[in-house]
This record gives sequence, structure tokens and C-alpha cells, in this order.
Amino acid sequence: MRYSPTLIEHFRNPRNAGMMRDPDGVGESEYPECMDLARVYLRVRDGRVTEARFQTYGCGPTIAASSAATELIQGVAVEDLLELADARVESAVGGLPADRAHAAHVVSAAVRAAARDAMARMREAGGKPAGGA
Amino acid sequence: MNRRVYLDHNASTAVHPEVLEAMLPYFSDQFGNPSSIHGFGREARDGVEAARERVAHFLRVGKDEIVFTSGGTESDNAAVKGIAAARGRGHIVTSAVEHHAVLRSVQALEKGGFEATYVPVDGHGMVDPDDVRRALRPDTIVVSIMHANSEVGTIQPVGAIGRLTREREIPFHVDAVQTFGKLPLDLDALGIDLLSFSSHKIYGPKGIAGLYIRKGTKMASVQHGGEHERRRRAGTENVPGIIGLGKAVEVRARDMAAEETRVRALRDRLWAGLERRVPEIRLNGHPTERLPGTCNVCFRHIESESIVLGLDLKDVAVSAGSACTSGSIEPSHVLVAMGVPLDWAMGAVRCSLGRTTTVEDIDYVLDCVEPLAGKLRELSPLKA
Repeated sequence: MRYSPTLIEHFRNPRNAGMMRDPDGVGESEYPECMDLARVYLRVRDGRVTEARFQTYGCGPTIAASSAATELIQGVAVEDLLELADARVESAVGGLPADRAHAAHVVSAAVRAAARDAMARMREAGGKPAGGA
Repeated sequence: MNRRVYLDHNASTAVHPEVLEAMLPYFSDQFGNPSSIHGFGREARDGVEAARERVAHFLRVGKDEIVFTSGGTESDNAAVKGIAAARGRGHIVTSAVEHHAVLRSVQALEKGGFEATYVPVDGHGMVDPDDVRRALRPDTIVVSIMHANSEVGTIQPVGAIGRLTREREIPFHVDAVQTFGKLPLDLDALGIDLLSFSSHKIYGPKGIAGLYIRKGTKMASVQHGGEHERRRRAGTENVPGIIGLGKAVEVRARDMAAEETRVRALRDRLWAGLERRVPEIRLNGHPTERLPGTCNVCFRHIESESIVLGLDLKDVAVSAGSACTSGSIEPSHVLVAMGVPLDWAMGAVRCSLGRTTTVEDIDYVLDCVEPLAGKLRELSPLKA
């Protein structure tokens, strides 16, 4: 099997799949060469991700990477997600074959976009972290 | 424990037990080079010629009109390039949905100064003979149209095209890799001058195929070397492979009619079940003029590799209708030529049934596909 057991597990049983009501941040990324599309929703409290969900159109690895990413970013500061590296997502899914590397790219780009959106919303709200004091 | 279900017979097939049995002696007992003049060579030569006779008899053509090759790809290359090499220049007519072995051969010839017209297909993937007629020119040197498309199964009107080419004395090549041994082929009635056929689609071994070349067709060899195959294709014959192909043909001649009826019924059961149980899908290919075992389906809003992977995890083997390699998607050139919108074409999956497919297999596949499609649609941001 050319996919890691971790990837297969995330594909078989994707975590945190589906829309989120009233998210604190939403980001989307499309990989134009491939038409894979990943969308990430964030719930943020005190500047940290307390819940993440995803919706993804794409190949098995992209779906698995989305699922793995939502687990990876739990509890992480939104600010830190602005620079989330593709390699972190690839590692979270147990590695990717070279011809599926785009899966990590499109998912991490969606997370970064969601983080940017969350940061923008926080600034709009007067700099107060969503749900915080 | 999952059932193991193989629904990728258009890609390849398991060698029939009778074929394997026929081949085995030619690996270690009758192993000689058929070109050798001693007894070992003669044994091998006798086996090769008996197999050739069997294939020729099956196609109702002359023994000397059959050339063995290493595969359908080589046969396609030899046919198109062989005619081009004999003529030196000219115009080629083919279709937009040919196998890449024909398309890329023609494209290579265009780079070398030949001209080509790629006739379009309709929404079912079918060529219109009138489009072929309009494409023909005084300098057309060959027409190459496949008998049935490997992806969607649509059967082309080769008889009508053959009449056009025969009238104009233009050689007509048909890639019959997906129909040889599945559909009746009367080459004379169809006006076919060159026919590519393959072993491993009909329960023979991989690595052996053939090209029928009608006597009198002017061709140049594209593989030079020894005197093999009457100087049409150099190279020591793949003796066990040829024996296997001969036996596969014998078995198909016996089993073909009943088998294709059985497979067609199973295919129709599969499509009926999918249509009933899975929303937003469409069948690709002609509804009736289609290979008996081929069922190519588009699933809207979900991507084909994810379906293939999901089914693979249930030990069901099907084929993706598009290829995602190196991060760049290549939607099937056949579906694109048929005008299938991209958001459907990206969700294409091909099921191709065969000799070992059972009713239980079909029902198991339906039980796997329904929840898988539902789950993937739930994940998709594109669903309505």
C-alpha cells in the first residue's frame, strides 16, 4: 500500500468532518492543477483553536490530510497557524508519496487562510480574543 | 473478512487455467528458439505456427496476415507508423478518443511532418462516419478508429467507416484491443485492413498481442533486426506468450457468446443498482452500443481517486476515470471529448466486469458504493 497506515485511518474515519455553525474563522484553498478544494473552520477561544472542522473535495490523501490537520491544530495559537508549514501536515498524516504532496499543500493553505480570517475577525472585534474576557 | 472483487477487466485479466496449462511446457520443455533449425527450435516453431493458425481461424483471415507483437501498444504503433513510414508523407485521420498508443503515435508523426485530423465524438463518445468522410483528403494515407473505447465502452460504427475507406482504397486500422474475443469481428465485412488485438484482455498472458495486416497493405517494419514474422517485426518470438494467446483465443471462441450475455446482465444489474441507490450519478458511454462489461460512471461532487481508494479498502478494484499524477489532474481525454462537464468528469470511475464476476460480487459492490458515496458527499464542500 503506498499510503501510510495513519493516512488510511484518517481516510477511513475522518475526524471533525462537516460544517461548523458560526465559526470564528473560515479558510479555503484550491489546488488548481488538481481541483482539490479544502475548507477549514475554526472555533477560537483566548486566541487558541478549541475546535476545527473541515470539508474537502479531492483525492484520498487530501481528505486524510484535512482530517489529520484538524487534530494537529487543536489548542494551537491562531497566530502560530499563520505560518503552518506543509511539512507539519504531511507529517501528521504519516507521510505522502511524491505525487500526492499537493494534499499537504492545499490543506495547510486552507488552515493558514482560516487563521488569517480568525485574526482579522479578532482585530475587528477590538483585539479581544473571541469568547475571551 | 472482505470479499475480493475485481472489476477492472478492461485493464487486465487473470490468465485462464487452460491457458496457463498450455503455456507451461514452453518454458522448460519446448523452450527452443523457433528460428533454430534443430529439433528444439522446430518444436517451438510448431507451437507458434499452431497458435497463429488458431488466431487466423478465429478472425477468418490468412495465417500469414497475423503478426505477433509485444502488446496492443506495439501493434498500434506498428500499424500507424508502419503505414506512415511506407508512404513517407501524408494525412492521417483518427478520433479524439483513441488509446494513447494511437494518439501519441499520430502526434509523433505530426512532429515529423505528417498532418492529422482528430474527428470529434458525440456525448456518448461515438464517432460520426460523416465526420470521417469530411475529414478524408486525397493525401489521406490511413484512418485509425478504435472498435470500442476502453474507458466508456462505446462501440464505434467501424463498418460504416470501413465502407468509406474501402471505396477510396485508404488503409483502415482498427484498435480492437477491447473487442477482440468479446464481440464478433468480420474483418472483410467491416472493411478493416489492420487490426490490433491483445492477449491480456481475454484471459491470456501479458506481453503478447498481435496485428492483423491484410495481404497487400503497404507497410514498413518499425522494428528492425532478424527475419522474424516475415520481416514485419524482428525479435525472437515470445513462445509461451504466443501459445497462451492461441489458447486464450480457443477458449474465447468456445465461451465468448454465453459469457458476454452473462456479463452484460451483471453490468446492467450494477448500473440499475447504482442508479437506484446513489444520487447524482451519470452513466458514460452509449446506452446500448457499449462493451458488454463496461460501466463508467461519474459521481458528482466527489473525486474519483477517493472513490477508488474507498473501494480498494473494501477489496473492490475499479479504475479511476481521471489520473492525478504529480499533483496535476488529467481528466480523461475521452470524457473531455464527450463534453462531460469537469465537475462530473473529475468523479469518473470505471467498472469493467469479466469472466469471474458474480451476482454476489455486484451486490457487494453496491453495498460498498452507497455508503462510501454518501460519506464522501458529506465531506464535500461542493454538495448542494
